[in-house]
Amino acid sequence: MWDGIIVGGGLAGLLAGIRASERGKRILIISEGVGSLTYSSGVVDFGDVRRLAGQEKHPYALLGETLVHTSADYFQVLFPDYEGEWGRNQEVLTPLGSPRRCGMVPKGLNAKALRDAQRIVLMAPEGMKDFFPEVIKANLVKIHPQASVEVYPFRLERFEPWYAIGKPVMGMDYAKFWRSDLGIAVIKDLLNRLAQEINTVQRIAGSEKLVVVFPGLVAGFSASLRNALSEVPFPVVEMTSFPPSACGQTLYETLKRKFRVLGGELLVGTGVKRVELQGKVCHKVIVPSKGRDTEFSARSFVLATGGIFGGGIEVTPDASRETVFGLPLFIPSEWTRAEFLGEQPYARMGIEVDRDLRPIASGSQEVILENVRVVGRMLAHWDPWLEHCGGGVSLASGWLAGEKI
Amino acid sequence: MDFEQDRVKNLDACIKCSACTAQCPVAAVYPLFPGPKSVGPDAERFRLEGLELDSKCLNYCSNCKTCEVTCPSGVKITEMILRAREKAQQTGQKDGETIQHQFRDLVLGRAEYLGKLGTIWPSMTNAVLGISLMRSLMERTLGIGRQAPLPAYKPKFKALGAGNPATARKQVVYFPGCFVTYNDASTGKAVVKVLEHNGFDVIVPSFHCCGVPLQATGHFREERANARKNLALMDPYLQANVPVITACTSCGLALKEEYPKVEALGAERIGRQVYDLFEFLWGLHERGELREEFQEVSVSLGYHAPCHLKAQGIGTPAVRLLRLIPEVRVNDLDAGCCGLSGSFGFKQERYDLAMQIGNPLFSQVKRGVAEGDFETMTTECGGCQVQIQHGSGIKTEHPVWILMQAYGITTE
Repeated sequence: MWDGIIVGGGLAGLLAGIRASERGKRILIISEGVGSLTYSSGVVDFGDVRRLAGQEKHPYALLGETLVHTSADYFQVLFPDYEGEWGRNQEVLTPLGSPRRCGMVPKGLNAKALRDAQRIVLMAPEGMKDFFPEVIKANLVKIHPQASVEVYPFRLERFEPWYAIGKPVMGMDYAKFWRSDLGIAVIKDLLNRLAQEINTVQRIAGSEKLVVVFPGLVAGFSASLRNALSEVPFPVVEMTSFPPSACGQTLYETLKRKFRVLGGELLVGTGVKRVELQGKVCHKVIVPSKGRDTEFSARSFVLATGGIFGGGIEVTPDASRETVFGLPLFIPSEWTRAEFLGEQPYARMGIEVDRDLRPIASGSQEVILENVRVVGRMLAHWDPWLEHCGGGVSLASGWLAGEKI
Repeated sequence: MDFEQDRVKNLDACIKCSACTAQCPVAAVYPLFPGPKSVGPDAERFRLEGLELDSKCLNYCSNCKTCEVTCPSGVKITEMILRAREKAQQTGQKDGETIQHQFRDLVLGRAEYLGKLGTIWPSMTNAVLGISLMRSLMERTLGIGRQAPLPAYKPKFKALGAGNPATARKQVVYFPGCFVTYNDASTGKAVVKVLEHNGFDVIVPSFHCCGVPLQATGHFREERANARKNLALMDPYLQANVPVITACTSCGLALKEEYPKVEALGAERIGRQVYDLFEFLWGLHERGELREEFQEVSVSLGYHAPCHLKAQGIGTPAVRLLRLIPEVRVNDLDAGCCGLSGSFGFKQERYDLAMQIGNPLFSQVKRGVAEGDFETMTTECGGCQVQIQHGSGIKTEHPVWILMQAYGITTE
């Protein structure tokens, strides 16, 4: 018998697992695959919390601004490699080099150093997949007209076999290399060489404020890599990347490690086939293992299956359904609108809950399952793309579920 | 369900997100392997149209199944690759594979025959295998890497009492697997002791190799023949509802995933009745039937979950169970594949690859021990044990040995 079983291993599910484990609970997380953090940039967005908290039925309105703030503080204490200031935006670079505002960022991604840069050097790793140095350069020139921008190409012995056959190197593999012992030694060398070359030129040009932009690098959660970077004489700014993203993956790995260190167990690779209920209480989930099904019993459950894209909501031409408990869904009357990147009402599809995150019937407001809490993307009445609050909703609801297990 | 139908349906579940390739331990270190997405679901579309891929690409898949565990959409990626490999084999596509490598596959696929030979006079075999000249000869003649951590042979683990399924008290059938049978009989004895300590009569028929090494070297027909032989030995017990237990995670995965697909008596029951040792013991614990008068075992362990345990979808029952023992501390490392992947890392041209694949794990093991996080390593898989010990120099044993200490029993 577990104290809590969390179905879904993304940001909200893992955070709920960590919080509950910290409170001494025995927690099992069951996750169909690696979750969607691998597709995310690794930054955490909150959106306009005060405004959204005033929006009827929005998760922020249910949870309250204070609780969202508390969960942000909790996340930051848990992971000091992230930085942010409540109510103020940070800035990061998109994979194409344009700026993007967000709530909390891994320190290395914070692009504030670019604001008063006079000279920007864009590191250009040979053959990196989904990396377009000329586009990035053009964007940097446009946004930072005060600075000169140059591209600094380099190649690594480690990937010579890739270059030789013309195969692109995944950004993830570059990032993994930099985080290895050998990679740290190589990056020190590389940046010191750059510093020397700059110094030679600088004698002529006079001292100017230099910032290095380094795609395919993730220093967060690696103390030795961060130390190595702190020793170079200029700030190094990382970039977000297209999926699969090393920065999102690093956050995923870190959340998993934290959860495991606290004694939690993570079952990845299989979902929940069905559940067993007694009245308004769930007591068991059944997982399709190889050969036969395995049953796991618990006192409390969390539904963190990630909405439509996570597989938690299945949409067919005939109907939409929640895949684990068969809970009723809020479905907007109008689904889509013509403007592709504009508001799409289907984004607000999800499960309506009470203030304790328990699923409720939309008419009577009656709680449907007493010991099940719904978190993250499964909640109804919010739109991560329009409202930029995906990280905040996941952290706040995950934290609260972790408190309640 | 019609297999062709199923195959198409499963293929469409792939949304091309590349999460599998990003996690693939082989693609990360070997550029000529296009990765699971490309040789799995991508190439499958062509295969459905009758276009076969150069099978060299397929052969670099180590069958660790990380891609299948990773996939958020449940696509059977490894299964697609293995089937394509079988097809290539049947159609005689040899992609210029040398006679030497064909012969090596013949040898490495037959852990059982090697074991039988090796255990006739184990000390002699080990002495011969220990001679570096011999290993360099093997590298040149067989293509078996000279540095590869071939496990030592030990006196053979013997079959135990036939039992009588009709008059069952509390019986279990134990499937030891080749590693225990030929290289590590004492762990086999420990498994038997732990089960006996919990009141079970343990039956060990003279099983054959489970078939995984045959499958990995492309001998699918022989693999299924082994499965049929083993099922014939198990069938009377299966019919009498006797559970089958294995402490090897690769044998366990084969028994759970491959055996039910074989046309033979017992195939319809095996999936339901086979248990990993710790899965079985945890079930006893949950029903209040496990003996839990544990002595303190003051030890701090690093735990490595074998890939083929992860693929079973049962979690990590050994970690759960060991944590019931007073003073046992377990660090679940989660540092990926050890690289050996059965016999993958024994092959001369793949030895370095296997070591590179395992490197993140080895570094984490070494760092963990150096920083005092844990003292020794534990993992269920014999291959992983050998490889972790080889790559990190840290002692690595099956978790059943901690349970033996907690029960205060020995194999004598």
